[in-house]
Amino acid sequence: MAVERPFKRLIHLWRLYATMDLLFLARGPQVALAYYLADIVVGLAAVTATFLLAERFDGIGPWTKPQVLFLLGYALLVRGLIDAFFNYNLAFISRRIGRGQLDHVLIQPQPLWIVLLTEGFAPVTGSGMLVPGLGLLFWAASQLGLAVPPTWYLLLAIDLLASLAVVLAFEYIVGSLAFWAPRAAEEINSSSWRLVTQLAPFPLEGLAGWALGSLVTVVPVGLVAWYPARVLLGIGSTVWENALLPAVAVGLSTLAFWIFTRGLRHYGRTGSTRYLDYGHRR
Amino acid sequence: MTPLRFRAYVKTAAMSAGDVGDSPLFVVDFALRILRVLVLLALWRTILGGREASGPMPLAAVLTYTVVAEVFAEQLAVRTALQLAVWEGTLVIRFLRPMGMVRQLAAEMAGKWLISLSLFSIPLVLLAPVLGVDPRPTSPLAALLFIPSLALAIIVGLALDLLFGAITVALEQPVWLIDYTRTAVATLLSGALLPLAYYPWGLGDVFSWLPFAAMAWAPLAIYTGTGSPLPLLASQLLWAAVLWPTADWLWRANREKLVGYGG
Repeated sequence: MAVERPFKRLIHLWRLYATMDLLFLARGPQVALAYYLADIVVGLAAVTATFLLAERFDGIGPWTKPQVLFLLGYALLVRGLIDAFFNYNLAFISRRIGRGQLDHVLIQPQPLWIVLLTEGFAPVTGSGMLVPGLGLLFWAASQLGLAVPPTWYLLLAIDLLASLAVVLAFEYIVGSLAFWAPRAAEEINSSSWRLVTQLAPFPLEGLAGWALGSLVTVVPVGLVAWYPARVLLGIGSTVWENALLPAVAVGLSTLAFWIFTRGLRHYGRTGSTRYLDYGHRR
Repeated sequence: MTPLRFRAYVKTAAMSAGDVGDSPLFVVDFALRILRVLVLLALWRTILGGREASGPMPLAAVLTYTVVAEVFAEQLAVRTALQLAVWEGTLVIRFLRPMGMVRQLAAEMAGKWLISLSLFSIPLVLLAPVLGVDPRPTSPLAALLFIPSLALAIIVGLALDLLFGAITVALEQPVWLIDYTRTAVATLLSGALLPLAYYPWGLGDVFSWLPFAAMAWAPLAIYTGTGSPLPLLASQLLWAAVLWPTADWLWRANREKLVGYGG
């Protein structure tokens, strides 16, 4: 399905979803407080283990304490961006597929890609980790005395975009299993998400070559925060090293697109056996 | 409990275990868990390599701690289907069965454990020497005391599960909001991910008095010989004695709210 002036449509939908998100939170102070507190606690808990270790040992392996904080800020920022742009289970696509909720998307009179890019936009409820992540990243950068020319910000933006693409591609590759096994794989993205969020904030030096190789390709946990943080901190500074993350992000996204569209084709033939009129699942 | 009733719970556990046969996809989950262990082991070797003497635990004990924490991951972070049932609105079906609600939930949970213990935990213990980890407890006494400590950890975990279920209903908050927050806090405070002995500024000592530590830190510290067994067991007993009446009271006090909540 083609759409006229897609960029304008994207902006319009983002504005619409942002308004709805704000209205959701404006129901009362109890809701707002609960969502914000939960977001902050979950986000901080995710990076605190690494922080405590860095504090205890004055760094982790070859990483100094401020470098670890930079890594944690980056990891938190990636997570915050996913929460803000791909909320409502768009990053946990196995749930939507497994529950038959993809039908809600397919009946809309607009292309699937537009729905997937906009429907999860929650700039208010999903922003609990964005500000702490940004703050930690730039505070650590100032502690390190990083010289940041304008090109560094460009590299930061490219790497953040690539890290987002890597996480989403991994979630969609794993989550697409739900097309073929809706009940069994409905929650499979919870496992993949747990793996990504628990391991992303750790420096991966010290791993055996094959393990490290796997963690930047097959299960790309290393590309979520560790690798880009190395590049941004100047630990890896060759052109090849700078280009690796975006290149893998493009490769993984292509693979995710291929698998997802194969699954969608299968879904087109079988539909969902789990959706019931009254909303519950079989 | 009559033998007939007991058989009903065993049957419930067996039916729950049978659910796993629906699909082999749980193997993916096991693979992801193995990967997590590999990364954590490498991390500890990187951190402690060359400075073992400065830490409160030798490297070998930390590696054993990490592997055993994953072997018993489900027992050290007890989760029944309570939150799911509240979310799906199917708790009422459990009330209709001629069985205790907590006992049915515990039976379902135990059934699932059987599968992961046989297909994940035992293979991981066998694999441990290949990963350079000795999975054995520090002494025969530690092995002996680990059993009651693990049992108490499960009892405390069950009480916390019921307590958080009751809190969700009492505060009328979204199920998953409370659940995610609880998971995040428990992972950090229980010592399931990192041994509390390695927390800086004496935080580990403070956290070891909290109920979450009774779920993971206590049995793992006993297993690896890191803590004194008697105070650890006593703290677990204390939390079990405090949490069960509290959880039971809060659950009963808010049970009628379940109707409004949709349970």
